[in-house]
Order: sequence, then C-alpha cells, then structure tokens
Amino acid sequence: MMTHRFLSLTAAAALLASAATAEEVRVYNWSDYIDEALLEKFEAETGIDLIYDVFDSNEVLETKLLAGGSGYDVVVPTGSFLQRQIQAGVFQKLDTSKLTNMGNMWDVIQDRTARFDPDNAYSVNYMWGTTGIGVNTAKVAEVLGEGAPVDSLALIFDPANMEKLQACGVHMLDAPDEVVPAALTYLGLDPNTQEADDLAKAEALLMSVRPYVQKFHSSEYINALANGDICVALGWSGDILQARDRAAEAENGVEIAYNAPKEGALMWFDQMAVPADAPNPDAAHKFINFIMDAQNMAAASNYVYYANGNKASQAFLAEDVIGDPAIYPTAEALANTYIKGPYPPKVQRVVTRLWTKVKSGI
Amino acid sequence: MAQTVFAPWDNPDEKPLIQFKNVTKRFGDFTAIDNLTQDIYTREFFALLGPSGCGKTTMMRMLAGFENPSEGQILIAGQDMAGVPPNKRPVNMMFQSYALFPHLSVWDNIAFGLRREGAEKTQLAARVEQMLKLTRLERFARRKPHQISGGQRQRVALARSLAKAPKLLLLDEPLGALDKKLRQDTQFELMDIQEKTGTTFVIVTHDQEEAMTVASRVAVMDEGRIMQVATPAVIYEQPNSVYVADFIGDVNIIEGAATPHPQADGYSVAWAEGQPQFHAKTNRSFAPGQKCFLALRPEKVAISAEPPEEAANRIQGKIIDIAYLGNISTYHVRLPNGTMMKAQTANTRRLSRRSLTWEDAVWLSWTDTAAAVLEG
Amino acid sequence: MRRALLIAVPYLWLLALFLVPFLIVLKISLSDTALAIPPYLPTLDFTEGWAGIWGFLQELDFENFTFLTQDELYWRAYLSSVQIALISTVLTLLVGYPIAYGMASAPEHWRATLMMLVILPFWTSFLIRVYSWMGILSNEGLLNQLLQGLGLIDQPLIILNTNTAVYIGIVYTYLPFMILPIYAALEKMDAALLEAAEDLGCSRLTAFWLVTVPLSRQGIIAGCFLVFIPALGEFVIPSLLGGSGTLMIGKVLWEEFFNNRDWPVASAVAVILLLILIIPIILFQRNEQKQREREG
Repeated sequence: MMTHRFLSLTAAAALLASAATAEEVRVYNWSDYIDEALLEKFEAETGIDLIYDVFDSNEVLETKLLAGGSGYDVVVPTGSFLQRQIQAGVFQKLDTSKLTNMGNMWDVIQDRTARFDPDNAYSVNYMWGTTGIGVNTAKVAEVLGEGAPVDSLALIFDPANMEKLQACGVHMLDAPDEVVPAALTYLGLDPNTQEADDLAKAEALLMSVRPYVQKFHSSEYINALANGDICVALGWSGDILQARDRAAEAENGVEIAYNAPKEGALMWFDQMAVPADAPNPDAAHKFINFIMDAQNMAAASNYVYYANGNKASQAFLAEDVIGDPAIYPTAEALANTYIKGPYPPKVQRVVTRLWTKVKSGI
Repeated sequence: MAQTVFAPWDNPDEKPLIQFKNVTKRFGDFTAIDNLTQDIYTREFFALLGPSGCGKTTMMRMLAGFENPSEGQILIAGQDMAGVPPNKRPVNMMFQSYALFPHLSVWDNIAFGLRREGAEKTQLAARVEQMLKLTRLERFARRKPHQISGGQRQRVALARSLAKAPKLLLLDEPLGALDKKLRQDTQFELMDIQEKTGTTFVIVTHDQEEAMTVASRVAVMDEGRIMQVATPAVIYEQPNSVYVADFIGDVNIIEGAATPHPQADGYSVAWAEGQPQFHAKTNRSFAPGQKCFLALRPEKVAISAEPPEEAANRIQGKIIDIAYLGNISTYHVRLPNGTMMKAQTANTRRLSRRSLTWEDAVWLSWTDTAAAVLEG
Repeated sequence: MRRALLIAVPYLWLLALFLVPFLIVLKISLSDTALAIPPYLPTLDFTEGWAGIWGFLQELDFENFTFLTQDELYWRAYLSSVQIALISTVLTLLVGYPIAYGMASAPEHWRATLMMLVILPFWTSFLIRVYSWMGILSNEGLLNQLLQGLGLIDQPLIILNTNTAVYIGIVYTYLPFMILPIYAALEKMDAALLEAAEDLGCSRLTAFWLVTVPLSRQGIIAGCFLVFIPALGEFVIPSLLGGSGTLMIGKVLWEEFFNNRDWPVASAVAVILLLILIIPIILFQRNEQKQREREG
C-alpha cells in the first residue's frame, strides 16, 4: 500500500525547533480520494506531521479495525460498515466542541447518515455517491437500438438485454452489498430485506444473467469502459465519471454516460471517524475539522468528482461538479434513492454464499 | 612340463582383438593421440602407462565409445567401431570412481547390465551369484554402495563390468583409490580373475609398479604417442629410450660419446674429461664419437670399500647420502668430477653391522652388460 | 549441554513460529463470532484464574467444522484447490526439470550465471510480476498482439481470467522452487554414472530413466512439495489471473475472513487446509526416514 508522507522543509525545521511538541496524525482513506495539495496545506497550517495511508476495500479496513491497534487516528469506512463497527465498539464519539466547522454540514446528508450513525455522534460525512449504470452510449445503441433502457436496471437484469450486450461486454461490481440490493430493487422487493425467500429470488435473477457477465470486479471497469473494451458496467458514480473523463481526454471516440437507475439507486456515504484506540484523537479532530472547512472540502470534491456532505462547500464547487446531475442529483432523483444497512452475521453469510454461487456457479 | 610362453604378439598368425590404425584424436588445438597404431591380443593384460595427459585415458575412452577418433580406425574383433555407441560394443569398463549406482544394491548393480540385455531371470540370478562369488562379495549383496568399504566397492565395480562377459574389459586406474597394501593384494586378485575369466584386460595407470605387476605387456606413453610396447621385463631391462628408462624405476643416466671397442665387442663411452671410459655391450650400433646415453639401474651397481677386481667398469666416489628403505638401501655417491650416481644393495644384514656410512670413500662397479646404451 | 541447546533451538523456533500461531488459529476456529474487538468469543481472561480458563474451554466447540461439512462449497473448493495445485506442480516439474538438467549439464563457468538468471526475477516484487502477466495475457495483451501480428490467430485467445492463466502464473512464480532442488541433486551426480549406464547397455534415454531420474528423486520430491504446498493455499494468483469461476480455498478463506467477518469459520477453513497439507508432509517425512534407515 502506498504511503504518502508530506513533510516540507519548513515544517521539518519547525519540528526540530519544537521537538518536544512534535505531533503526528495518521489518516487511512480510500485510494485516489483526495487532492494531495490539501495534505500539505494541513501540515503547514497546523504543524502536525501527517501520515496518509490508503486502502481499496472496506473489508481490509474493517479487518484492521476489528483486530485492534491499527494505529490510525482517522479512518473513512462506508456507512453500512461504519454502523456495524460502531456496534463492535471500534470508534469513539466525536467531541463536537472541537469541530468548529460543524455548521457547514448539509442536513439532507446528515439525516441520511444518521441512519447508520444515530445523531451522527461518531462520524462526519466525507463524500457520497450512488451506485448506478455506466454505458458506452454508441455501442449500447448499436446493440439494443436507440430506445435502450440505459437508465433502468432492466438493462443489466433482463436476460434478453444481457444476451445481446454480452458481445460488447458487461462488468459488475464484485460487491454483494451493492449488487444484491440492486437486484432486489429491480424485482420490486425491499433492498434491505433479510428474508431468505427474497434473497433466493435475487439469487435466481442474478444466476439468469450471470453467463452474460464478463467479469465481476470492483475497479477494472474504469479502464475497460474508457478504452471501449466493455459497453456496460454496474459501478460507483464517481468511478464511471472518471472513466467518462478519461475517454474524453484520450479522444478515442468513446462516450460514457452515467445514470442512476430509475427504479431506485443505492446511495452510499463514506464517513470520517476516529478509532477508540486512536493514538492522537486531538489531532484527529483537527484533521476532520480541517476537511470540514468549506473551501477545503470543495477542493477535494473538485478534484475527485464526488459529491460531499458539506453544504457550505457548494459555494466553492466547480460548475462541472455542482452542475452535473450525475454527481449532485436533482432533488427528485435524490428522493429516488435508498440506503442499505448492514446485514447481521447470519444474513451476511447467506448473502456471501449467494454471491459465491453467482460468481462460481457452486 | 613345458609351458608355452604367452606371447601372441610374436605369432604372425594370431589375429589381434583390438587394432588401432593410425588413430589421431584432437580436442580443439590439443592433440591427445597422435597417429597411433597398436594391436592388442585376446587374453592379454595390456597396460597403458604414462603420466597424466599422455593420452592413455583418451585411448581407453575411444575403446569404450565415449570418444571418437578424429582420424584413423579402431577395430575390435575385426569390426570397425566407428559410429558404434558405447551400449552396442562388446566392451565393458570399470571406472576410476567405480561409478556404482548409489540407489541400487550391490546385487542390482551387478545385475544392471544383464537386465539391459534382457537376460532370463534364473540365468541372470545365477550369473550375478557367480560374479559375487568370484569377487567374494556374497555377504554384501543386499547392501548399498555407501555401506561397504572402498575395497569392496572396487570389487563390485569389477563384478559389474565382468557380469556381461565382455570380450574386452577396460580398467581406468582401477586401484587408484585404494591404499598401498590393499592395492597390492588386489593386483594379484585382478590377475587371478583375468586368468579365470579369460577376458582381455586393458588397464590405464600412472603407477609403473602396478603396470609391471599385472600386465602381460606395458605400453609406455608420452604426449599422445606410445614410446615402447613390451613385456615388463623388456621394458625394464631393455628400455628403448631414455624416456622409458627414466619413467620406469630408478636409473642413472650418463651421457657420453661412443667409440667401438677394439678388443671386446662393444663400445667405450667417454663421459667426462679425465675420467676412465665406461664399457658397455649393446645390439645397437653407433658411429665412432656418436652421442649416446648409458641407462644404469642402481641395483646393478655394486658398492664396496675395497676396489673390486675384474670389473668391466669401476670408479671411486664418496657417499653423500644413504636412503634406507628397509629391504634395500640406496647410496648416493659423488664421483670425482661431481656427477652423482646411485647404487643399491639388498640389506641382507642387520643395520648395525653394515660397514658403509656417510663420507666413506667407496668403489662402484658394474659389468659391461649392466647398462643399456641408448641413442636418446 | 551444548547438545541439548542445539536441539532446543530448532524446537523453540518451531514452537514460536508454528505451534503457537497454530494453536491461536485453532482456538479461534472453536469460538463463535461476535460483534466485538476481536470479533469472536470467548476470549481468554487470565485474571479470573483457573475458573476463567475452565469457563473459556467450556465455551469452545466444533460447530464451525460441522458447518463446513454442510455446504458443498467448502469441500469443492478444497478439491479444486488440490486439483489446481497438483496440475500446477506437474506442469512446473515438466518445465523445471529440463531447465535444471540443462543447468547441471552446462559448463561449470556458465552455471553461476544460469543460477543467477533463475533467481533474478525474485528481485522484483511478486505482485509486479503477476501484474505483468496480466499485461501479457489480456485480450489486447502482448501475447495476443504477437500471435495476431504473426497471423496465427484471428480472434484474441481468451487466457486471462481463466484457469489457464492461473496455471501459467503458478508455474512461473514457483519455477525456481522446483529448479533449485532438482539442480542441486543433478549437479552432485557423478557424470561417470551415465557413462557406466551406457557402457552396461543403456541408451541415452534409458540411462536417464534408470539413473538420472532415480538419483534426482529427492530433488524432485522436494521441488514438488515446495510448489504444491504454497500453490494449494495460493490467493493472489487466482484472484489476479483467474476468473470468477476459479474456485480456490484461499479465496474462500478470504471471503470468510473479510466479507463475512467470520473469523472462527475462516480459522476452521485454515485449520483444515493445514491438516490437508500436514498429511502429505508427514507421509513424505516418514518416507525419507525409512529411506535413511534403509541406507543405514
């Protein structure tokens, strides 16, 4: 895993001058998820030595946290994982007196994240997005005609469509927590269901389209979409927008579009939280408060093309971020989203098993 | 009872088993064997003797088929061996390292060659038992090679190479790995086995004593050439060159000029100014004043305190050194002109009663047939 | 005293690096999942003395092992792992033996260089080497471009994300583990043994079968174990080069551990994997022991 260590010469000099008070804060965030200029800015403003590590799956983060003694001060799990981790006693409550920028937060998002973290006592939203469908517009039109249901889950869950689409390539996330709720939504069932019967129906649906899926993978689709190797992907909004921009930059004639499914889109939240055993919770709060600054948060979103939960930052967002309904959905579209909570262990096992069957056929 | 002397090489009707015909072997720029022609006869125990690098091993490996001649022909039993691989030759070899298969028992090592022939089971077993008996290895049949002694390994190697009853057995320094005492015992055992089986043996060795002991004929080699081929006695007593004389045993070499002797048949050899000439008889003929070498074995030189009477050659000198070897003593004597000469006597008396000692003035003497007169 | 110390060191080593971790994993496999740090119960509490330890032991059970027998997924994953590991081992042997043989028969002054070439890839990160195979084997990869460029194929060969790619990855990665022990066995073999075999009537080929192969047997067995054992639990190669359908126990274990957060079941899977490996290792050791006894 890459470790970015930012320590300017002046900061080093400052540290030498006040060696006794040298402080450091360790942050563990998703890869490619911040404007690195912000990290240097934080060090310059606070004089705190920032150690910034990255991960690329919630599972890896969670295992580190559950094993205890991770040594991190700030981590950024996704909402459903956060909820379970709070129950396991992984985190400490935030000291709101130290978070002077709390007033910047967006109530629309706060209301939703309170579903995972009651009263938002343990976490502050970093970014959020939806899980939806990325398409290579021209290729899909070629295969399915102009009226292709690109904004519907039917595109990927109707075997008739998939049979035709397999020629140009379909990828799905290798994440049962994302794909199973989508299948349930397509079937008109509760995406948060824990009923064995409902899950069995989702499994049957997934099995019916499985032969046409080229690969279940959670990151390869970015390049594959951008290069034109595949024409449809069920993926995360920001990643698909990244593929869109890469294709545009490459000027290879590939045109990618992202749509949140009209049947309902899964909305996810990545939350900043402080582990209970954080070595330096005080610096952790400083870092979180720094990110909660309207301009800093806007800089991060402008860089990674994800929406954030900071209302005040919207004034500083670039037009192609705030103005893109794929990033900041309309109020109407926002109403058409759902939140997915964690499964209890027994149901999680059933879902994982279901997923293994979908992938391997066993 | 009259016993015929075994000397097929003197019989013009005898067909040789092995014929080297103008064989040359080169490795890159190096000529290992240089235009060599030699016959070896059935039932011979033929020794190839020479220093390392003389080409003796190359000759053996060409017989076995591991090397091919660069030029010339090798025939075994009249058949040209060119292009015949080792496994198709009526030849077996006993390797210097023995090359016993470490994963097989003594029994299976001996049976290895027979199995390749597809020998029938009971016959195979009988033959292996016979070989074990011949080499006195019956008790060790089930052991692996690393579980037996060096001497026993040597016998396994011999049994294995004899098991297929080859026309020709090649032995590459077969006793080199054994200590001296065991080596001497084994030499006789080898001769005994050779006689019993009637196999033709070609042995490669750098140990002249070993060659002299076991061989019916010895070929002394140097730089890819055979210098002399003869029975051990002839090689020793009548070397045809200074090289052979020097290589085999201990020898005094005296360089001089030969002049036919007016009275006795033979030559007078002037070897140093102001010294009496030596007299020697020989079949070779030399022109007056021609350069020659006297090769004189130390044991043929008598040593005495008093001047000997009626000796063809005698000369006075002083004992510089005495090498006591138990059964014999070698005296290093300095002649008046500074030349060193060796004389040997058998120690038939106890040490304390010997009369000659360091710094004594002594007389050396020898007969006129004692020295071989050589051209070079 | 010195002798006791000499014996004690490897045993302590084994104890610290193998037995203790194994007991910890075994203990977890007998526990139940919990939403806690660490995510299983019970945990050992020494403060309560013997009663605490007794209470702890009473809560352990074999439930997780029973669970593994109830879903065909697990035994099929074990079986498929064994199959993939076996096939990979045979393939590695087929590729590695000629290389080791060539190295051992090469002129002396070449051998150090050849050895270097075999070991050289180890200087690069294992992950980077596996990733570069993705670049070679993908549909638009070097191999397909080459074959299409030569006009040998029209459609790209689909190799990446199949079991074939997994075999290629395992053979490539573990090849040195096969080559080195075989090379070591072949190198110390006396060349005269082959000449002796030929002299006694073998062709080159039969000499190879009757002498070279048996004498390199130890190297072959060692090499096969060095490949088979890590290949059986291999996780990285099948996840990067294999397809969704490539079922290997390492992947199942990963899912139990990370997706299900079920450390006890994951540990049970690991314990059984270890048992699967220990049986052949013990058989192998016993065989070696017997061999040594036979040889005295």
